[in-house]
Amino acid sequence: MPDFALKGRSIRLQSLRKSWEDAVALHDINLTIPAGSFTALLGPSGCGKSTLLRLISGLETPTEGDVFVDGDKVTSQPPSARDLAMVFQSYALFPHLSVAENIIFGLRTRRTPKAERLEKLDQVAGLLELSHLLTRKPGELSGGQQQRVALGRAIIAQRSICLMDEPLSNLDAKLRQDMRTELRELQAKLGFTMVYVTHDQAEAMTMADQVVLMNQGHIEQVAAPRDLYARPATPFAGQFIGTPPMNVFDPMDVQEFPVFAPYCTGSHLLGLRPEDIHISETGPISGHIETVEFFGADLLVTCRIGKAALRIRCAGQAQYIPNTSVSLGFDLKDLSVFGTTPTAETPPQHPKAGNAPCVFNLAKA
Amino acid sequence: MNKMSFSWDRALITCAAWALALLWVLPLIYATWTAFHPAEFETRFDLTAPLTLTNFSDAWVQAPFARYFLNTTILVTMILIAQIALGTLAAYAFARMDFRGKGILFSLVLVQLMIMPDILLVENYKTMRDLGLVDTILAIGLPYMASGFGIFLLRQTFMTIPQELDDAARIEGTSIMGRIWRVYMPLAKPTYLAFGLVSVSAHWNNFLWPLIITNSVETRPLTVGLSIFAATDSGIQWSVINAATLITSGPLLLAFLLFQRQFVQSFMRAGIK
Repeated sequence: MPDFALKGRSIRLQSLRKSWEDAVALHDINLTIPAGSFTALLGPSGCGKSTLLRLISGLETPTEGDVFVDGDKVTSQPPSARDLAMVFQSYALFPHLSVAENIIFGLRTRRTPKAERLEKLDQVAGLLELSHLLTRKPGELSGGQQQRVALGRAIIAQRSICLMDEPLSNLDAKLRQDMRTELRELQAKLGFTMVYVTHDQAEAMTMADQVVLMNQGHIEQVAAPRDLYARPATPFAGQFIGTPPMNVFDPMDVQEFPVFAPYCTGSHLLGLRPEDIHISETGPISGHIETVEFFGADLLVTCRIGKAALRIRCAGQAQYIPNTSVSLGFDLKDLSVFGTTPTAETPPQHPKAGNAPCVFNLAKA
Repeated sequence: MNKMSFSWDRALITCAAWALALLWVLPLIYATWTAFHPAEFETRFDLTAPLTLTNFSDAWVQAPFARYFLNTTILVTMILIAQIALGTLAAYAFARMDFRGKGILFSLVLVQLMIMPDILLVENYKTMRDLGLVDTILAIGLPYMASGFGIFLLRQTFMTIPQELDDAARIEGTSIMGRIWRVYMPLAKPTYLAFGLVSVSAHWNNFLWPLIITNSVETRPLTVGLSIFAATDSGIQWSVINAATLITSGPLLLAFLLFQRQFVQSFMRAGIK
């Protein structure tokens, strides 16, 4: 569908703040969304991600700060002047209109000539495989089909920005997986800038070029999915991404092990992914197995080390018995160090600098 | 035991329903009986009595019912259009807009529901006189055009329409009026139907206010025309009066019988008990 390809536009948010009388929803948001990128706004419910999307769309106006699209300030412009489309969580299809009428709703509002309307409808319906459903009412469609109609309404206008608010959360797991791939392909093919709100880390990690992790009205971290997983900037980022979450512990709780000694300043937290800890006889850390959970491919072992409890992911067929002692090891480059106070942002020694010496590098024996 | 008491309950309810229905339909039966029979059968029930339509033609020529019909139709249509237009706009504002004093204004609208219109007869008359509208059809309709009931009903319906539909239309650049016209009004159709039926039947039957504000054939609605016809006719002839009554209430009765299902359903859907 080459005539549907278009150039995405970039979005920049500058010191954006949104508050209602009694509550602050967003504090000082600064964010750049590159043109043509797929950006996911990820966070737990109530973190302000949907509010942020509504500020970008123009459905809400910010209390302070500005929204720029391609360098133009659009803060006080209505949604229709921002050249964007939006897909809602509930799909927001008009129940009294047929599928075709729903898709061309916006074209009608803008009085596009009928011939052009029909031509575009034809193209979009073909693209989304909706051609045989055009005369139906939304109520007669399955969830997946309704989702497609909502997509159709968003792309028919050929907007340079598409905003999506948890568009897949009402679909069943199987369909959600298919739609993920499809959405990503559609976005890559048409080239618009996608801003995608989700609370599902799997969606954000599999689809996005850039993940914006939010928590309590702040941006925690902006990074590509791989970097977000490998280098979480805050304990929240480490624990929100990954199942099971990253082990985050206070080095003071494990100070008897010399490897943690450099971090025992009282102003740092340490993070280790469950799969980065290995149970090994030569490991320098001794722990005590508390529980063992079997997940088929994986085995999740909870070990007490000093005063901290760490979860370790092992191969599913391994055998470990609770209430026994084990030795553990990890690669120092996998250790995340978080400052707990603003003055301690930089850890004393950054093992992630790349060429930091590996204290223990356990071969996976 | 339980089943027994339950069926007693049912039987009583059924009896009561029949009794009420009978009570309601009796005048109608009497009116129909007298209207279709010669005057001498007004108080005599005889199955073999001859049927006749002369009562209807007599009534029709003795009073300008055609004109009354026209007046009532104009009145009812005018009120309904104004009520829907004003009610829709007010209901949208109350349901979806934020403005200072919204709560107080809405409670004032609700207070209007509690005021008997009859209390305002004198005050309304004064207003109409000041406006120079006494003895016009507009004067009959004007006090009813901003209907608190209509605003309340439509606001309740509009509030059940998901905000996301409004947002979706806004993203597409639809104006407020466009959204009301293309999203809210089509989705509130059952409410409009229910309200329309209530409004039409209420103002078709309204009597006291039109009686006071009108003085001439050109403005009188059916109800007033009928009462004058019944009162001024020196020798009261029930068969002709009842024929006239049937003429005036006929269209509404017929409409109700035809739309009975929709009428009841729309009320169920609109959530009015």
